[in-house]
Amino acid sequence: MSDKFEPNIVAFLCNWCSYAGADLAGTSRIQYPPNLHIVRVMCTGRVNPLFVVNAFQQGADGVLVSGCHPGDCHYMEGNYYARRRFTLIRELLEYVGVDPKRFHMSWVSASEGAKWKDVVEEVVENAKAAGPFDQFRRNKINW
Amino acid sequence: MVDLDKLRTVAKETVSRDDVKYLIGWSQGTFGFRVSPHFVKEPEEVDSLTFSPLCCNNLATYLTLTEKNPVPRGEEADTRKVALMVKGCDSRAVVQQLVEHGVGRDQVYIIGCPCEGVVDVKKVEKKFGELLEPVQASWENGKVSFQLPGGQVESLPREEVLAQNCLTCRYPNPVVSDILLWDEVEVKGNDDYEDVKELESKSSQDKWAYWQDKFTSCIRCYSCRNVCPLCYCEDCILDRLNPTWVFRSTNVAENTAFQMARAFHLAGRCIECGECERVCPVDIPLMKINRKLYKEVHEKYEFEPGLDPETKPFQASYRPDDKEDFIL
Repeated sequence: MSDKFEPNIVAFLCNWCSYAGADLAGTSRIQYPPNLHIVRVMCTGRVNPLFVVNAFQQGADGVLVSGCHPGDCHYMEGNYYARRRFTLIRELLEYVGVDPKRFHMSWVSASEGAKWKDVVEEVVENAKAAGPFDQFRRNKINW
Repeated sequence: MVDLDKLRTVAKETVSRDDVKYLIGWSQGTFGFRVSPHFVKEPEEVDSLTFSPLCCNNLATYLTLTEKNPVPRGEEADTRKVALMVKGCDSRAVVQQLVEHGVGRDQVYIIGCPCEGVVDVKKVEKKFGELLEPVQASWENGKVSFQLPGGQVESLPREEVLAQNCLTCRYPNPVVSDILLWDEVEVKGNDDYEDVKELESKSSQDKWAYWQDKFTSCIRCYSCRNVCPLCYCEDCILDRLNPTWVFRSTNVAENTAFQMARAFHLAGRCIECGECERVCPVDIPLMKINRKLYKEVHEKYEFEPGLDPETKPFQASYRPDDKEDFIL
């Protein structure tokens, strides 16, 4: 075991594009960092921005939300709504003092296994640079 | 100019109407600078109604607070309107409720009171102390004059006594009303979001140090939620037990999650009436978070809530060309 910090990253992936894209990266034997804990959702529009806050509370060092490219949503418009919401929650997190390097959003389609690798590498690199998250974690509270 | 006789005449006519259930207005409170909401059901009661710089309550809250009991068998539902006195900010809250179908346009009769800004009770009490006898106040050419219990009259410039959100108010005149009580007032405020920009420019550590300090003092009384005219979900996530979104313990982790949830649920909906900050017992600068999201929505999407009853709610609409510069 090395003492190097390995971040926990919670990734919300849409079933139709990003999850399949991650799957493609796997079946194509593309190597990418193993720090991700993937939560499959049916659409990025399903992801409540409070999921992100909750993930941070429960010990995530970074959060990634990934879905279909605009216009490609399986449900026609789910990712457009998600885009508005996560733009705002990102601003809010940054305003409260959470390092903007901890929250990311990406568009990865089912055929973009190579892009998925790049995205994960960038997310993990950023989370490593930001360090362990302890601002409003539940189990790290000084009573 | 405020014309109390006209206000009472109109109120009397309104309450006498067959299609009006009751009227919600302001009346003199029992002590000091307090004004209390007044529910008028009979035409004789209108004489206690008032309108002054002390009328800081946002009465739009009461539209959605009404208990909706099931109608007993054999009886018909009461479909009469509620008459409501609104200032500029209150009228925007009503518009936002109309947009969200929280209340129907045919359920409410709006009496508009153009307003030159209401006082911040905390500011005046600092100047005059906490008084037991009721105080009267009025607007006079850019000043607010108070008739104190001893009979003496004090005039103070509006910058010293008005609430912060009234100094930057851009909509002092009701944006929607069935009847306007007096002439519209001149728009004096302009909001440049200076306090928000100042905090934005700090580093992440400094921002967190600032908010940690503020959020730690939160006692989770939920006054901010209860007073907000736009927090009217029947099933609020803060009351839910399954799933428990926010634990009930008051520590900085849960308080931060609560404040972020509250602010986010008001993103693109908050109309900046400042009620949450006014009622906060521990003086958390809640408007500083709300205004940040208001600013982002305004700058990024050119959207302002509570102006047009025909728009779609911000978070339930999209444009294909919305900005996405941060997305990988």
